[in-house]
Amino acid sequence: MSWAFFWLVTFVVAFGAFSLISLVIAIRGVAEIRELFSALEEEMRRKRS
Amino acid sequence: MSAPAIVSPFSLLDGAIAVLSLLATLWIGLRVKRYIGTIEDYLVANRGMGLYVGAASLLSTEVGIITYMYQAQFGFVAGFSAFVTGLITLGVCLLVGRTGFVITRLREMEILTVPEYFETRYGRSVRVLAGVLMAFGGSLNLGIFPIIEARFLAVVTGIPSQYLGWTMAGLLVVALAYTALGGMVSLIVTNYVQYLFLAAGTVIVTLACLRQVGWSGMVGAVEGHMGGHGWNPIQDLGIGFILWQVLLWIALMTVWQSVAMRTFSTRDAAIGKKMFTLTGFLFLGRALIPMVWGISALAFFWGRAEPVTAPVAETKLAQMEQLDARLGETFRRDLDEGRLERALPQVDLLERLAREEKAASPEAARFEDAARDRRGEIGLLAMPWMLAAILPTGILGLVVAGMLAASISTYAGYFLGWSSIIAQDIVAPLLSSRGTPVIPRDSEATGPEGSAGVADPTSPGSDGAPADEQAFTEAFPRGRRRPFGVPGKRLTRQVIAQGDPRSTRVGTRDAEPLSNRARLLLTRVTVVGLTVFIMIWSLVYDLPGPAYFYLQVTANLFMAPTLIAVVGGLYWRRASATGATLSFLLGAAASLTYLVPSLKLDVATAGNLSWALAVAGFVVGSLLVPPERREAPSRADGGSREARS
Repeated sequence: MSWAFFWLVTFVVAFGAFSLISLVIAIRGVAEIRELFSALEEEMRRKRS
Repeated sequence: MSAPAIVSPFSLLDGAIAVLSLLATLWIGLRVKRYIGTIEDYLVANRGMGLYVGAASLLSTEVGIITYMYQAQFGFVAGFSAFVTGLITLGVCLLVGRTGFVITRLREMEILTVPEYFETRYGRSVRVLAGVLMAFGGSLNLGIFPIIEARFLAVVTGIPSQYLGWTMAGLLVVALAYTALGGMVSLIVTNYVQYLFLAAGTVIVTLACLRQVGWSGMVGAVEGHMGGHGWNPIQDLGIGFILWQVLLWIALMTVWQSVAMRTFSTRDAAIGKKMFTLTGFLFLGRALIPMVWGISALAFFWGRAEPVTAPVAETKLAQMEQLDARLGETFRRDLDEGRLERALPQVDLLERLAREEKAASPEAARFEDAARDRRGEIGLLAMPWMLAAILPTGILGLVVAGMLAASISTYAGYFLGWSSIIAQDIVAPLLSSRGTPVIPRDSEATGPEGSAGVADPTSPGSDGAPADEQAFTEAFPRGRRRPFGVPGKRLTRQVIAQGDPRSTRVGTRDAEPLSNRARLLLTRVTVVGLTVFIMIWSLVYDLPGPAYFYLQVTANLFMAPTLIAVVGGLYWRRASATGATLSFLLGAAASLTYLVPSLKLDVATAGNLSWALAVAGFVVGSLLVPPERREAPSRADGGSREARS
């Protein structure tokens, strides 16, 4: 296997994984941010009480 | 030979897109400040960060315009060989993610900063020393960000140079505003939004490069213009460089403060491990994708270049002198106007002539060094000039929005990271009038400002043993003692269950802590001070070589000793404060040699020297001066009874 082919495969994996994981983060991240806010609000309520 | 200058098509529409993205980020960042009540909310978002948001936050903090620039520069000068650093990063992330090496133990201790661990393990002096070196190295590291990023923005947007300083100041103020007010909560939310911009910009630029140059064009450029180099990383970069990168990335992924803060902010250690596994592939892209942009820029400008012939002269040395003089007249202007297709062949010719003549005439080495420096300068600006040349209006605005998002998230993350070290590990311990300073937790709050009570670990328990000794014995009965440094959280819970709220903190010793409000104020003031320093440093400092190397050496200033002291503290019973102190002093001194031009040490040598001396200092110091009883792994950091005796 030549270096050129090896680096091509590496790049395809890197770019593909970056694009795919970014898409997953974009979709799943919203729910996690909602959860974070809920937890923080709950914590604030707990402290106040 | 008159190459046309590149003029950026950045328009009002592009400007509007970029400004709107900034305003949206600022608005979101400021809205969440109401959630900040304690220092723990401020620094680690009350440890409520999930996997995907954590990955976004980690990556957007560690990717800025400067990252794209130095990675592209590395690709431009080293070709595909540069990719090896991306593979190293992936390997390290997978290793850390699968094994939880260091991060799991640090996360379970519920600390806020890495030096905090040093206090529980080695004592306050090591914490402060580590804090000083981290703050120093981290600030130097961050200090060149604005000036390099300003060059990117000047090229891509065409902002006149007289407004660049104000532009950068504006960007820093945006990051400062929401970081100072909202801390980690603001960061997590804005990082998520910024990540979306950043990822979109990254994909757009990569597709544009592939469309403009194509993979075959990149391969052709490396084959045709790198003199047989650019493929084999072992041959081009050397084993020493690769070894140093492996060590450095292990340290970066485990104890680099802005990364460690993400680990500390996760919901639990398991999420932390998953986050590293997931981001391993993002970090691979973080390296390789901009390197491909750099190689594309190499192909792009060589594709526009015209052949250049050596000046007519009697000797090669005279030819080089003439060529160097010609470059002296035109190089800076070519760089500023994007005429890289004119500068690049001349620099290449000078370097080739110098390399051929070096054996016969040692004076030629001077020209080779000069040519290499100029190639590095071209490499830094080649990618932005290419973007200015190939991206159309509208798309350019989206890309700039992505780049600004990347940059501001990095500033914000680093502001919080380094200021937390300055405030928590340098100023607060020094302000504490007596005993070991303690960071109050929510659970310890006894007054309206959350000030903690004073722990008295020597007060006897029911069986006459000190209270925390008893708590420890109950929490970790013989036979299932945990190794050094693990269970702050479990011990804390045990002590709370015993109704002794004063002892809920690891390492408590006759302390007089600052209140939560004071710590919040202190950290916020430090963020402002750090911003001012960065603006000044970026104006006065002149880089001695490629940005990539400067950034890694300033990081290495404290990374080697920090990782060694953490790993040694967690896994080696004989590790002592003397060893840790020597490790920090020797490791930092060795790393600084790269920044002294007269020593002419190459980056890998300085880096590996730092690691070698840090290890030697740690081992020799620990063996010569073994730990005293109070600094040995104790119940405070979860050490075993055997280790304490």
